[in-house]
Amino acid sequence: MSEEKNLTEQESLQIITEMIHKVKGSFHESGTSAILWGSVVGFCGLFSFVKAHFDFSTGWFDVWFLTLIAIVPQVIISIKESRQRKILTYEESAMNAVWLVFGISIFALAFYNNVVPGVSENFYAKDGIELLQRNKATGEISAFHPFIFSESSIFLILYAIPTLVTGLARKFKPMIIGGIICYLLFIVSCFVSFQYDMLLQGIAGIINWLIPGLILRNMFLKGKAC
Amino acid sequence: MFKELDPILHSQLRLAVMSLLIAVKEAEFTFIREKTNSTAGNLSVQIQKLKDAGYVDVVKQFKDNYPLTTCKITKKGINAFEDYVKALQQYLQVGK
Repeated sequence: MSEEKNLTEQESLQIITEMIHKVKGSFHESGTSAILWGSVVGFCGLFSFVKAHFDFSTGWFDVWFLTLIAIVPQVIISIKESRQRKILTYEESAMNAVWLVFGISIFALAFYNNVVPGVSENFYAKDGIELLQRNKATGEISAFHPFIFSESSIFLILYAIPTLVTGLARKFKPMIIGGIICYLLFIVSCFVSFQYDMLLQGIAGIINWLIPGLILRNMFLKGKAC
Repeated sequence: MFKELDPILHSQLRLAVMSLLIAVKEAEFTFIREKTNSTAGNLSVQIQKLKDAGYVDVVKQFKDNYPLTTCKITKKGINAFEDYVKALQQYLQVGK
């Protein structure tokens, strides 16, 4: 392509159309990450089903640990793909944000599942309560490990998802900070009672949406005034 | 009254570069060279002109011990491109 050629309006339009079209055909998803996670999660799910159905033990080894191990090849794949990538589209950038936040949320849920039983027992223990269960057939009494489900904690994860995705995709710091704080509030909510969960929900609403919303409103009004 | 076409954009290679960059968040120099079928020297000069006008940001770094140049359109560049397209539409409507 030469530089100083005198362009007609039609030629200009043709260049614009041609270049935008060239970009459209330049990016193809390799599918490697999807294959990796599809295989790992698929295997873990099916293995857990077979294990429950045939009632056998794998000792200390939980097959779902494989999902943690799979993070290693995922990191390698991500580095390799980012090295090979010559362009970053807006769509790809937004999709990266979606999958990153999805990953964080999955780990937040895993954290919730592991922490809540111990916290639930502590709540009862504080009131001097120990829960027991009795086997009707044998009469055997054993400790019952409660799991106090807190929907507020789950809601906090849900609040964080769209905020952090929007913040990352649009590079809007108030929403990135809001989303991160919301995940931190989720961690706190795993250890406190329902009453404090409500306080955390209120804080999350203010930090997650109200403050970024006011900043956006301010920017919008400034833009309108110009 | 017709708007004058921005002389920075009204050039074959610079317009091609801006048209590529408007569609992506960022692109490597080699990608732009490949898609515009231009020489490295000519492309460098034109990108520098776009950079001087504040239409693109250029980041130079190293990847695997090789220099890597990444280009990104700026807000000013987006506005200039949009104005250029609007002006172009005016000319084309009259030509119909």
